[in-house]
Amino acid sequence: MKKMKVFKDLYNYRELLSTNIKKEIRGKYKGSWLGVLWTFLNPLLMLVVYSLVFPYILRIKVPHYTIFMMVALVPWTFFTTAVQVGTGSVVANGNILKKVYFPREIIPISITTSSVINFLITCIIMFVFILFSGVGFSKYILFFPLIVLIEYLLTLGFAFILSAITVFVRDVDHFVSIILMLAFYVTPIIYKPEMLPAKFQWAIKVNPMAQIINAYRDILYYHQMPNLTSLGILIIVSLLFVILGYIIFKKLEKKFVEEL
Amino acid sequence: MKNENAIIVKNVHKDFKLYYDKANTLKEKILFFNKKSRQKNDILHVLKDIDFNIKHGESVALIGTNGSGKSTLLKLLTKIIYPNKGKITINGKVTSLLELGAGFHPDFSGRENIYFNSSIFGLTKKEIDRRVDEIIKFSEIEEFIDNPVRTYSSGMYMRLAFSIAINVDADILLIDEILAVGDQHFQEKCFKKLKELKAMGKTIVIVTHNMNQVKEFCDRAIWLYHGDIKMDGKTDEVLKEYIKTCG
Repeated sequence: MKKMKVFKDLYNYRELLSTNIKKEIRGKYKGSWLGVLWTFLNPLLMLVVYSLVFPYILRIKVPHYTIFMMVALVPWTFFTTAVQVGTGSVVANGNILKKVYFPREIIPISITTSSVINFLITCIIMFVFILFSGVGFSKYILFFPLIVLIEYLLTLGFAFILSAITVFVRDVDHFVSIILMLAFYVTPIIYKPEMLPAKFQWAIKVNPMAQIINAYRDILYYHQMPNLTSLGILIIVSLLFVILGYIIFKKLEKKFVEEL
Repeated sequence: MKNENAIIVKNVHKDFKLYYDKANTLKEKILFFNKKSRQKNDILHVLKDIDFNIKHGESVALIGTNGSGKSTLLKLLTKIIYPNKGKITINGKVTSLLELGAGFHPDFSGRENIYFNSSIFGLTKKEIDRRVDEIIKFSEIEEFIDNPVRTYSSGMYMRLAFSIAINVDADILLIDEILAVGDQHFQEKCFKKLKELKAMGKTIVIVTHNMNQVKEFCDRAIWLYHGDIKMDGKTDEVLKEYIKTCG
């Protein structure tokens, strides 16, 4: 019964959710000359810079290094931006929280969702790069939506927990940036997982993002079946994590307005 | 199960902590964990054991001097804040006119903001489509509706905000001192609209210091005094006592 209410609330406020997402995507570029075009231009330029810079500074011997790195870096960027923006999102919306009631979880949900939409737009451009680089596609791309869903749930879980805690301890924001920076290096994004010294291999094993990145790379770069055991565990972990995050968020939200 | 009460407030307590110097960062929280002088915070009991029901279709005024807890009570009813003890049950859809124009985005046009703002009240796109003309007409800013809201005068801003809130079609309206919107003409229009809504059987709760409005509009008044209900009853009777004590 209780679980149904969660979805009913969100369904009733679906218009708020969708306008919030639109505001998040469109509002970002409001006032700039090129407007919404930046939504495409930004990732395109980012990918161009990566493909120009990384092959020269990082001499890792893999064919099509740009694509090797891109299929990992683009999902990673989605994760970090959503977590970073999500962390401060409740505090940033403090003014409106103090004035009207609406289901509070809409805030982290719309941040995560607008990030995933931006990510998918970037993916379109990335796919063009993959096509023209000669790497091409395989049937394993069918796993793509599933992996995106897993990453989305995991990210949403983080956004729930961190955005709620930040209301009470503002420092969380700064910790998050540092930890994300560190996480970038213990996730096989610019290198192969095997290249990490044996004594650090556990870091990849327990890092769900490393598993997700490996899965993306399997289907988009190596054209092979992703590790199904690992995917199965990821589905369960990310589902449990998002539920846990939601419960924590709901527990803390009652005190939000008094702390903002 | 149809409940005849629109609002049930049962033994509600609300306390606020008074911080002299609030530790917001982790460093401060750790450093001053034991220092009583800094951490010492008094607790302010804003509402003490409030208990009342409001039936569907009633218009109720909350009156009382500043700091008596009226606005806190209204915020509790809208679920912006939550009670420390006790329970509040609301049967029906609520609109609060506490802060008009909350969530207006200055760079977007009046029309777009109608959509944003109505969606905060939980309306769907279809429902807003049906209302948008009515809202624009009521606000009397037809010619500027497609201009960005930041170019509006404060009067236009409030008029638009009020028109949105009043057209949400909620069962329960919570209003905090808002009938000071716009010029004389618009105020009268708002008041007329509220009377229409009342006639339609909406439940209305108003916080106000304007005793004439209370007299003219409300069937019942609840007088709050330092977080207690001092009196609850017919408007005339409560007002008579209230004016005797405070006037």
